Amino acid sequence: MTSVPNQPPPLRRDRAGAIAGGVCSALGRRLGVDPLVFRVAFVAGTAAGGVGVLVYLLAWAAIPAEGARRWSPPSVPGSRESWQVAGGIGLLVLAALLLFREWDLWIGDALVWPVVLASAGGALIWRQSASAQAPPTNLAPRPLRLGGTALGRGALGVALVVCAGVVFLYLNDALRPARDVLLAVVAVVIVLTLILAPWWVRLARGLAEERGERIRSQERAELAAHLHDSVLQTLALMQRRADDPKVVAGLARRQERELRAWLNGRPAASGDGASFAAALQSAAAEVEEAHGVEIDVVAVGDCAVDQDAEAVLGAAREALVNAAKFAGGEPVSVYAEAGAQRIEVFVRDRGPGFDLAAVPEDRRGLRESIHGRMRRHGGEAVVHTGTDAGTEVELTLERRS
Amino acid sequence: MRSGGVSPRGFDPASLVAGLVVCGLGTLLLLDQLEVLRLSFGYIAPALLATIGAILLAAGLAGRR
Repeated sequence: MTSVPNQPPPLRRDRAGAIAGGVCSALGRRLGVDPLVFRVAFVAGTAAGGVGVLVYLLAWAAIPAEGARRWSPPSVPGSRESWQVAGGIGLLVLAALLLFREWDLWIGDALVWPVVLASAGGALIWRQSASAQAPPTNLAPRPLRLGGTALGRGALGVALVVCAGVVFLYLNDALRPARDVLLAVVAVVIVLTLILAPWWVRLARGLAEERGERIRSQERAELAAHLHDSVLQTLALMQRRADDPKVVAGLARRQERELRAWLNGRPAASGDGASFAAALQSAAAEVEEAHGVEIDVVAVGDCAVDQDAEAVLGAAREALVNAAKFAGGEPVSVYAEAGAQRIEVFVRDRGPGFDLAAVPEDRRGLRESIHGRMRRHGGEAVVHTGTDAGTEVELTLERRS
Repeated sequence: MRSGGVSPRGFDPASLVAGLVVCGLGTLLLLDQLEVLRLSFGYIAPALLATIGAILLAAGLAGRR
């Protein structure tokens, strides 16, 4: 097996990604750097006596235009290298600007530095808005982007532009009349910050603690639901089959395997990526085998099993167990519709039904394993039942991913 | 199984660039000390910035290959 060396693309002006002549885009592709870095450098060079325009025109004349065949960039490197390259180019541009200033190729501090800051900040804001508008796709080639979060880039861009405005006004003596007012505002802000800081810190800690408590509470509920659906159900089944030692031993072995797998963090049979329809069929088959009740499953559509789909599966399984236990041996039917946006499952039996209001508070099956589980994952469970009217459990979940 | 001795190191362009630019900066400072050149802060500051920038650029570009 031979490996293809990772060749850099040829230096060609890119008309598709061009804003002016495509020089920055060409340099960016060749060096694997965001073209914005070069655009900011050329703007800074232009502000410092017009050298940037001259260099750009020379580069435009020297670099040939791209033909019909397009090059696709290989891979996106990590953000550390991107920041190193951008920082290196920035320092080189800064060194060139200082040299131009030393050689008097300089319009003036009052104009050049604000332009440099504003162009860098504007480029960051522009990049942020462009990446927010672009639809995510795996097919389109991704150019190298500077690392860091989008919010951080946008905030840095805004700060640079504001800083550019303040520097421009300061260097042109426009801030002199407002200096006293500005000083008073800054003093008030500092005083308020010092006074309110303890409350802010306490508020932030309180929010973090509340969030942690909410997460722990959800984990406890998930744990209780899992134990109810697995261990408690198996124990109840073993009591009902106490007269058949072989069946009891088989149930105990299966429960032991499931519990060990769960404790060791191994995925269940319907783990992430599995088919939802297949997992539902498998759960129905398990309940059918354990309780000796006929279960008919009709599944329309399919989707991968993620955390949300896993919750629907758990709730459907619990509804199936309830139907098998209380339907008096009548067949149970399951109808499921699964798609990328929505999952619906209907579990129906023709048993005697029950009075919802009469369900005791300490029975967790319906309350936690079905209603609570669906609610925690943003879904909904509705039970249609009545005395001698059969029971239908309707599970609906709008998928988040 | 690895053999003993010094492990072979590949060519590192970043180190080469860093060495060259630091040598260049040192030469400039030496010429200034020997009064062949007369460097002011207005020249030394850009030279230092350019040195750091070139090293960063070379390290970043080399890290991708």
